[in-house]
Amino acid sequence: MVGDPIGDYLPTFIRFLILAVVVCGASMGVHYVLRNILHLKRDVALGFSLITPWILGFLIFNLIPMVSTVVLSFTDYNLQQAPNFVGIQNYQTLIGTDANFWPSIRLTVLYSVISVPISVTLSVLLALVLSKNLRGIGVYRVLYYLPSIVPAVAVVLLWRWIFNPDVGLLNTLISPILNVTNTAPPDWFGDESFVLPAFIIMSLWTALGNNTVIMLGSRKGVATDLYEAASIDGANTWTKFLRITIPMMTPAIFFLVVVEFASAMQLFTPAAFARATPAAGRFMNLLIYTYGFQQSRMGYATALAVILFLLILAATIVLFRSQARWVYYEGQER
Amino acid sequence: MPFNKKWAFTSLLLIMSLILAACGDATNTSAPAGANTVASGAATTAAAGGTATTAAAAGGPKVELTMSIWAGVDEAKEFQAILDKVNASATNYHVTVQASPQEYMTKLQTGLASGTAADIFWVDVDNLSGLADKGSLLDLTDMIKNDKTHPAAKLDDYFQGALDAGTYKSKMYGLPWISQPLVLYVNLDMFKAAGVNPPTNDWTWDDFLKAAQKLTVDGSGKTAADSGFDSKTIKQWGFTSNSADWPPTQMFIWQAGGKTISDDFKTSPIDSPEAVKAEQWYADLVNKYHVTPTATQVKDQGFDTMFTNGKVAMFVGGAADSLETREGMKGQAQAFLVPKGPAGNRLTQAYIAFNAVNSKSKNPQAAYNALADLTDAIQKWKVPVPRKSLSTKEAIQKAQPKRPAASIDTIIAALPDAKAAPIYPGYSQWADIWNTQFIDPLFRGKDTAESLAKKVRPQLEATLPK
Repeated sequence: MVGDPIGDYLPTFIRFLILAVVVCGASMGVHYVLRNILHLKRDVALGFSLITPWILGFLIFNLIPMVSTVVLSFTDYNLQQAPNFVGIQNYQTLIGTDANFWPSIRLTVLYSVISVPISVTLSVLLALVLSKNLRGIGVYRVLYYLPSIVPAVAVVLLWRWIFNPDVGLLNTLISPILNVTNTAPPDWFGDESFVLPAFIIMSLWTALGNNTVIMLGSRKGVATDLYEAASIDGANTWTKFLRITIPMMTPAIFFLVVVEFASAMQLFTPAAFARATPAAGRFMNLLIYTYGFQQSRMGYATALAVILFLLILAATIVLFRSQARWVYYEGQER
Repeated sequence: MPFNKKWAFTSLLLIMSLILAACGDATNTSAPAGANTVASGAATTAAAGGTATTAAAAGGPKVELTMSIWAGVDEAKEFQAILDKVNASATNYHVTVQASPQEYMTKLQTGLASGTAADIFWVDVDNLSGLADKGSLLDLTDMIKNDKTHPAAKLDDYFQGALDAGTYKSKMYGLPWISQPLVLYVNLDMFKAAGVNPPTNDWTWDDFLKAAQKLTVDGSGKTAADSGFDSKTIKQWGFTSNSADWPPTQMFIWQAGGKTISDDFKTSPIDSPEAVKAEQWYADLVNKYHVTPTATQVKDQGFDTMFTNGKVAMFVGGAADSLETREGMKGQAQAFLVPKGPAGNRLTQAYIAFNAVNSKSKNPQAAYNALADLTDAIQKWKVPVPRKSLSTKEAIQKAQPKRPAASIDTIIAALPDAKAAPIYPGYSQWADIWNTQFIDPLFRGKDTAESLAKKVRPQLEATLPK
């Protein structure tokens, strides 16, 4: 609609300004309370007043929604009417009778458990190659990073073409092997046994760029005097790699594994746009969307969201516990 | 420090005043629909056919209303032209429209939940009862009853089936502006080239299958009716299905004498012998006779595009889709009646869409007036409209002047066999199970209709109203 640009946006702009002033005011208010009523130190009061905008944002956009998600998971809520408390019924139905639940957990967990280690390993190896000072290395670094800046939906559309069973790039490439072994070309998104491999292959391509940049930074951060010292002690290249490079990179690897695992478990955009057969199960986040927004069963959907959260939390705790065994922090006693 | 105190006191004052201002602003902005007024003098008051309503006397302020529709770019342009005329002749309201062809229902539902949904919106038969059940739709019963001016409010002019679909628990929640039966679009040139006679009104499922086989051609020029036909190199198909329940399996089940949901909404007899016969026959078109492209081919090459490109000879579509006049249509196309099923009927699933009013609209009466004006206007644009006076050959030809007369005869002949699907408030849950647990494996040939139906029926019935 062609409207009046000033008239249409002015109210929003004014509200935006008011919000900014309110946030500033809140910061000053916090400062006043801490300094003049609670008589705290100047530094403390100033610090708290400066993080007040962030705390407000966290409360409004993170903590309140998180708590209400947990509360809503015990209700029957259809978005339009007030929620009804139903106890643990949503969880019982999900785990007990929902035909989509276990396939969804299976697909999501398998995807995360398989794709994350492959992706992290590949990015470590790639980072080692890209850290060499070769001619034109900058070009390669850019090329490997490019997929990360392509919009997710465009990536999925591209891969739908690559995975096309009749005219797709991948099946054309592997057709000699298929002809020799006399097997039918895989229908990647249409056949349930190929859905998981298809998503893993697609995820590697996109995740590799970002992960490699982090790994590259970590590789470049390894102090050269360690290698010099090792050389004097007579260590060969392989020993240096195993005893210096890898241990020094473990904090970054650990960070990647934790972050990548959480984001793999929450895969949504590729799942929503790849239009894979539902027979392989639906990714948990897609199922949450289906239940919550397409079927208006928000209470039920939030119960599934809570389960997803608990799964990620459990995996993160396990990873953190395992840290002592394999992650090496400089300056830390072992 | 006195300086600090002064500052802090000022800041507190500022916060208080801003919170108050923000509250004041909230009440102001939450009602822009009603508060933003336009001097009506600016608009012409050509009250065509008594469309002007009496609620606001001439010279009073115009109420701003919003509307959501699911129209795509071209359709939205046509709609905007209609809306401009309605706005120009309206004396007491002005409607602005927003079209969201993608994820329309998701946007509408979240809008309704957050209180930002439009005053008037399109809603289809699949979703009307669900929204009505949640109290999101305004009860229009009395407003329609008291409305003596709008042709769209004369209920005795409607086909009862379409009115029933807009009624929930004896209250009317929407005025239908389209109720389209499904028809069989046929590419006559492809039929001619294959030496197949065009469909007749006596066509049965068998006749249809035989024609589809002769029209399905592989890479070496053999048809699906020939021996030695290679289903892996098909270049042209007799029919098409997206393997995701279009054309609707339900329609074939009805034609075989079965049901997907019983009339009392207590059972889902998809495993009855009649239903299984239809389900298996339909799946066989895809997996046994190979007269349709695969699901992936349809997804990647476009469903109706494959028909207009001349790759598919027959397509089941809505009567209003007018594929014959679609840009890029290769060859001469015409709409025919769908073939008769084993039960001797040719029932199709009617697609019915309504104009409805948000129950939280700030201006229910103005919204109703706009809805009635717009329904009148849309009913002259869309075909077929579930009104007796508009379901004539002349009226349809006038709305779609480019369409072949023979297609219009077909549409009129198809109207009596169009039936609304059984819908209830939790239907989307039923449909999800139906599509993912039954249709998907059936059309990928993973199991027989009989065994799948037995397995899925209890799951479907668990979602029916208790």
